[in-house]
Amino acid sequence: MSAVENQSMPSDQSAEDLAHKPAQNEPNAGVRRRSFMKALGGVAGGVAVMSAAAKRVQATGGSGWSYVLDDISDDKLIDMYDKMLKIRWWEEGIKEVFLGGKDDMYGVIHLYIGEEAVACGAIGALNEDDFIASHHRGHGHLIAKGGDLDKMSAEIFFRETGYNKGYGGSMHITDMSKGILGMNGIVGVSHMLAAGAAHGIKVRGTNQVAVAFGGDGSVNNGWFYGALRNAALYKLPFISIVENNGFQVSIPAVETNPVRDLSKIAHGLDIPGYTVDGQDTLAMYSVMKTAVERARAGLGPTLIEAKTYRFYDHAGLSGAKSGVLGAFGLPYRSDKDLMAWIANDPLPKYRNTLVSIGVLTEEKANQMEADVKKQVAASIDFARKSPKPQQDMGLSNVYAQGAVAPSQMFA
Amino acid sequence: MAPKPGRFAVIEAIQQEMQRDQNLSLWWWIRPTAVSPFGKVIDLHREFGQDRVPQYTPIDEEWFVGAAAGAAMSGVPCIANPGYMCMTRAFDLVFNQIGKLRHMTGGQASMPFVLWQDGAGRTPGMAGQHSDAGQEALFAGLPGVKVVVPSNPHDAKGLMIAAIRDPDPVIFYHYGAINRVRIDVPDDAYAIKIGEANIVQEGTDITIVGIGPSMLDVNEAAKTLKADGVNAEIIDIRSIKPMPAAQIAASVRKTGKLLVVDHGHETMGTSAEIIARAAIDVPGAKFARIAFPDAPPPGNREMIAWMTPDATRTVDAAKKMVAS
Repeated sequence: MSAVENQSMPSDQSAEDLAHKPAQNEPNAGVRRRSFMKALGGVAGGVAVMSAAAKRVQATGGSGWSYVLDDISDDKLIDMYDKMLKIRWWEEGIKEVFLGGKDDMYGVIHLYIGEEAVACGAIGALNEDDFIASHHRGHGHLIAKGGDLDKMSAEIFFRETGYNKGYGGSMHITDMSKGILGMNGIVGVSHMLAAGAAHGIKVRGTNQVAVAFGGDGSVNNGWFYGALRNAALYKLPFISIVENNGFQVSIPAVETNPVRDLSKIAHGLDIPGYTVDGQDTLAMYSVMKTAVERARAGLGPTLIEAKTYRFYDHAGLSGAKSGVLGAFGLPYRSDKDLMAWIANDPLPKYRNTLVSIGVLTEEKANQMEADVKKQVAASIDFARKSPKPQQDMGLSNVYAQGAVAPSQMFA
Repeated sequence: MAPKPGRFAVIEAIQQEMQRDQNLSLWWWIRPTAVSPFGKVIDLHREFGQDRVPQYTPIDEEWFVGAAAGAAMSGVPCIANPGYMCMTRAFDLVFNQIGKLRHMTGGQASMPFVLWQDGAGRTPGMAGQHSDAGQEALFAGLPGVKVVVPSNPHDAKGLMIAAIRDPDPVIFYHYGAINRVRIDVPDDAYAIKIGEANIVQEGTDITIVGIGPSMLDVNEAAKTLKADGVNAEIIDIRSIKPMPAAQIAASVRKTGKLLVVDHGHETMGTSAEIIARAAIDVPGAKFARIAFPDAPPPGNREMIAWMTPDATRTVDAAKKMVAS
């Protein structure tokens, strides 16, 4: 849809109106799966109420986020699982490298493990040419958007072959070729950068959308509001996803924000705001699909809050053990809470759903996991064997051309 | 009196000033506690309560700085500590409000405000936004504020107390690297005069000036130079605004040579101002500086180490200047 066509859309058309339009480019409904989902009821979260007649249905609770499985291709469903596995096992692989102590690792890592469903469900609803802007805990967003594991591992090792050629490290991995505006070490800026990219989309007249990922901490300063408010004002194709993992660094969200369901912030801006189970890949996918349709239709931004949890510490590997999922014994949170969240681990949950509806077999799922582990091991091997950058490379890439002068030595 | 880590020394300073001034308040996004090497715990939140020292705060630099400024001009002296990665986030508040209000209101508004600004320093592996140094020069370019950069825990305590007692806004630049400098820190409160440099070592061959974290390199270089027969005068600038230009000029008049070592950037950095003032005051002297190149800090360890001035480069530069 061009920008001109966008302008012809009635500005007061609601997302609900759109939601009942037939989907385009969606596969045929599978009767068997639909019947199954009827029986499944609330188990799959995002599809609590089913209607065989409608392509879209309204969920219970009035949050408006539901999307029938019939509308999602098997390839897409499997791809989202593949990306979840890659996030999980790539980060576990990097964790083992750090814990192993043999690779002289340095720098800081913020593990995304536990939050995989948010990135994979949300990005699963995007096209390849859509933009995302990520934050310090963003390995998952990179991988979900198609990030290359070899280049990611090499960047963690600060090697020349890494995504950022050793300039950036874990916190800043960027792949402009895939619409990834980058991970970023500054809290809250992802909202601004993505909203700005959404403005750029309008200028260029394309049909892309731009998505910001931020944590619950990123809601605690002005950039978040500025981005959302102005995106609403200009009806930008922008989606703000707040990954509420319950902690701003190590401070409980309840201590830094008077609002419990952060999606309520949208209400004051007269835009849709949804709070979603961030451990449910399909719920994330479906709410995101609704937001993407609204954005592409020129109706403006959506705020999505995903309730989720990080299985590891804010940064680094305190409490982490080789071969054990999750960081226990951290002073600011309860091990029981962590165990409860691990019991609701998004990976087995989504896998079980895919096996139950016949998209995957146990055997195929095991094979996928084994393949991913091999790719992860290969990526770490690639990083280990990659050369370090030349020490004077820091003078380059300051500007498009040339290098800046060395001033650290007496000439 | 005993050695204390820098963070403990500063929190001890704040504690003593909060005991003295019933209104002095602190905004910090971390619960402000510190433990001394002998196990003495200072917990400012517990001691002074939620209103003066909020226990939990959002990551909201504009709020810390804006709230502290508003409180300060209303008669509640206030300290704000934004994290080191977002030190310029509230820059406009310092530029257009904190530094200007006394002047703009014809002297009515007092601003007993301290920006206790963490500085990252040239840390390997952090990359880009978390390995900066030298931004004190940005603040020093603003009228109406004072800027201090301690290089060790002793000076940190004394300068923090002076900053709190100053009726004008003070930017207190606190680099992590200074925390581990081993130096005795008196238990009692004491103030170090803002605007005065510390002549660390007297000498006649060359004047070497360091700023905050680069003083670690300069002090190390001084030992090597001494062993190699170079009699260097070592100056820790401590305050960059007001700048102790007369002390530096007096030294350069004696030595005829000035080397400035700065972890900040070359262009428009503090080294430029120091050399400009000395050059005007002491015509004919020789001047040089080593500073971080005009590039953001890279994450790779070898890359950032190569770009950062250090003791070896300081010795090398000083010897070449003395020989020339």
